[in-house]
Amino acid sequence: MNNTEIKSAVESMLFIWGDPLDLKDMMNILQISKDKIEDALNSLILDYEKEDRGIILKKFGDSYQLKTKDKNYKYISSLYKPSTHRGLSDAAMETLSIIAYKQPITKIEVEQIRGIKSSYIINALKDRNLIEVVDKMDKPGNPLLYGTTKDFLSYFGLKSLEELPKLPYDEDLRSLEKEEKEDKKNETE
Amino acid sequence: MEYIVNLNKFQGPFDLLFHLIEEHEIEIYDIPISKITEQYILYLDKMADYSMDVTSEFILMASTLIEIKSRMLLPSFSKDEEDDPRQDLVNRLIEYKIFKNVSEEFKNREEEELKFLPKPKEEVEYDFKFNEQILFEEINVYDLLNSISSLLKRRKLEIGREPPKFNIRYDEYSVTNCIKIIKDILKEKPKVSLLDIFNIDFNKAFIIAIFLSILEMSRDNKIKIIQDNLFEDIYLIST
Repeated sequence: MNNTEIKSAVESMLFIWGDPLDLKDMMNILQISKDKIEDALNSLILDYEKEDRGIILKKFGDSYQLKTKDKNYKYISSLYKPSTHRGLSDAAMETLSIIAYKQPITKIEVEQIRGIKSSYIINALKDRNLIEVVDKMDKPGNPLLYGTTKDFLSYFGLKSLEELPKLPYDEDLRSLEKEEKEDKKNETE
Repeated sequence: MEYIVNLNKFQGPFDLLFHLIEEHEIEIYDIPISKITEQYILYLDKMADYSMDVTSEFILMASTLIEIKSRMLLPSFSKDEEDDPRQDLVNRLIEYKIFKNVSEEFKNREEEELKFLPKPKEEVEYDFKFNEQILFEEINVYDLLNSISSLLKRRKLEIGREPPKFNIRYDEYSVTNCIKIIKDILKEKPKVSLLDIFNIDFNKAFIIAIFLSILEMSRDNKIKIIQDNLFEDIYLIST
């Protein structure tokens, strides 16, 4: 199979599948090396971009999915109302962002940061397949450790976890601010 | 001046504290703990006035604030700056704030990303049709009959023949005749071991019948049941 043929094959598969399709599945079906399929997928992504088509090919982790272009959303939504597209609540978003950055993390640790019980929200996020149990902690009671899923990446349009937005403050910034404060104190004294 | 505050929007005690800190333009690293405690408790009272559920987490925070306030009133024996009783609270507040901010960033990304629509997979039913073809291609009612009879043959059953037979055994021993057996034994010996009686015909039906008989005879005060020590043989004595 040459590059054009592979492109044609994966495009058909992605179209009919709808959901994110795993690179591994494409490899199994086509019996072709990972590199060759990735080449084809990348050039397919570029094709859609170059011609400014109404469809784009998105990559999340090792999965690929065809989606309609964001700028055409207004036309699609007057065509039909996508019912499943309900955003997450503030509480869910808050919980999810803690899990995304601190994974793997236990429910108790999430609750410590939020200062409030979070069982219900964690279960809701699990039901929406945005988080999953990734492990158990080797501690009394074996608390469950949660992490984000492939659907999480797809939901926020992230290629991988490395693409998470940088935290507005981090540990260094925090101690820096404290030093500044102490400096000010010393000056006034 | 009266105003109604939307208390519902607070995601937890930290959220409420942050709201107060921002509202009063307080420097987070130097929280006037007395003032903030007062404001915080005022809010909880308001929540109660609107008959909202003040959850235990909010009350816990109130007690934490009061504890910090009281610790700050006490003279400190340590000169160490690190011993600020507010430090722990401030750290937790900042950590919470980090995630609060980042979750707003997530919200923007979500909004942007929801504009890309995938094709719903549910519409595709090829899987079902594919299987259907294989399952039902050129099959008629005789094929069904053949396959059920070969299945039944394998299980050594046949359709349309006599119903299968079962042997139902008549109870060899009844309570009535077992009572008679026990009575006969007790006529010869005044004291008899339960095991000896069981040994007459050691099978399940007999043992159950004997057991029921003994209970019945004991109830009617015809025999006494004795056992000297735990796990020792049980003896029957005629009365």
